[in-house]
Amino acid sequence: MLTLVEEIVLLMIDEKGSFIPVRETAVDYSIAGATLMGLAFANRIDTDSEHLTVIDSSPTDSALLDRALTLITSSEEAKLPSAWIEVLATDEARSMREMALDSLIEQGILERSGSTFMWVFERVRHPIIGDREERAVKRRIADVLLSDGIPEQRDAALICLADACGILPAIFSVQEIKKARPRIEQLRKLDLIGREMNGAIEEIERSIIIAMSHMPH
Amino acid sequence: MDFEEEKHGEVVVGLVSGRVDGLAAPEFEQYLNGIVERGDKDVLLDCSGMDYISSAGLRALLVGARACQQNGGNLALCALKPECKKVLEVSGFFAFLESFDTREDALAAEQDWVGRGA
Repeated sequence: MLTLVEEIVLLMIDEKGSFIPVRETAVDYSIAGATLMGLAFANRIDTDSEHLTVIDSSPTDSALLDRALTLITSSEEAKLPSAWIEVLATDEARSMREMALDSLIEQGILERSGSTFMWVFERVRHPIIGDREERAVKRRIADVLLSDGIPEQRDAALICLADACGILPAIFSVQEIKKARPRIEQLRKLDLIGREMNGAIEEIERSIIIAMSHMPH
Repeated sequence: MDFEEEKHGEVVVGLVSGRVDGLAAPEFEQYLNGIVERGDKDVLLDCSGMDYISSAGLRALLVGARACQQNGGNLALCALKPECKKVLEVSGFFAFLESFDTREDALAAEQDWVGRGA
């Protein structure tokens, strides 16, 4: 089974193997959120609004999750879940994105190809070579959005993450997203880490709007 | 965390006490799944003794509620303490689960929630 980070990274790749245009900051926060959610689903951490507690420090079966778990267990100060999202939504998120790409390549889902662009820059693409996983992830998202039943928490988390980093328009039409919006809002609330992550993204986007409104015309 | 259980007609009434945190959540999930596996469909969780519920506890609750629903039944809550009720409210759980102020209210309103599964 893919990790949530791997699933999100997979959804960010278009049919040509390039990353779809999404807000970088939102992607970093989503990868940070996906990492913490992955640790929670693996029963390694537990959270409430004021605490993030390690309940089991034994390794998982994912190098990516273990890297984050080591970071958390080696920290000398207790941090709020929101603070851990901030810690991970930095260069860590970029490293984790690379780790997820490597893992997807190792599993035969992606391949890496490079080409020279403008004679100077090398453009790296990651074409999807095994699309079974990608189709399965998209189907899970569609199934949960189209039903009104109680979702699996992992699927609700995936939708929360996909919405946060703005990749749903690459899967569904604008009309479909508009129709599913009440359900998306319902699912976004289910996970505390997801709520904290969305709060952080909204705060950054608010700051950007304020900063832009103060720029001279 | 402790459980006590009684049957009220077709409804299993489970009294959950203590902290439902990351350490207790696997047992909580096992308890809820166990009810479904033995063939009971509708569960009322009396939360009057529940002092705390963490994200792991919420996850276990959702797994149990989903199992009940898929089994053609339903899971409802009653007598939540204000602090636990707030956690469930913020997490949007009441969009999926019925909650009643008292056990008596929940059982009196049985027809509104029992057997509402898939």
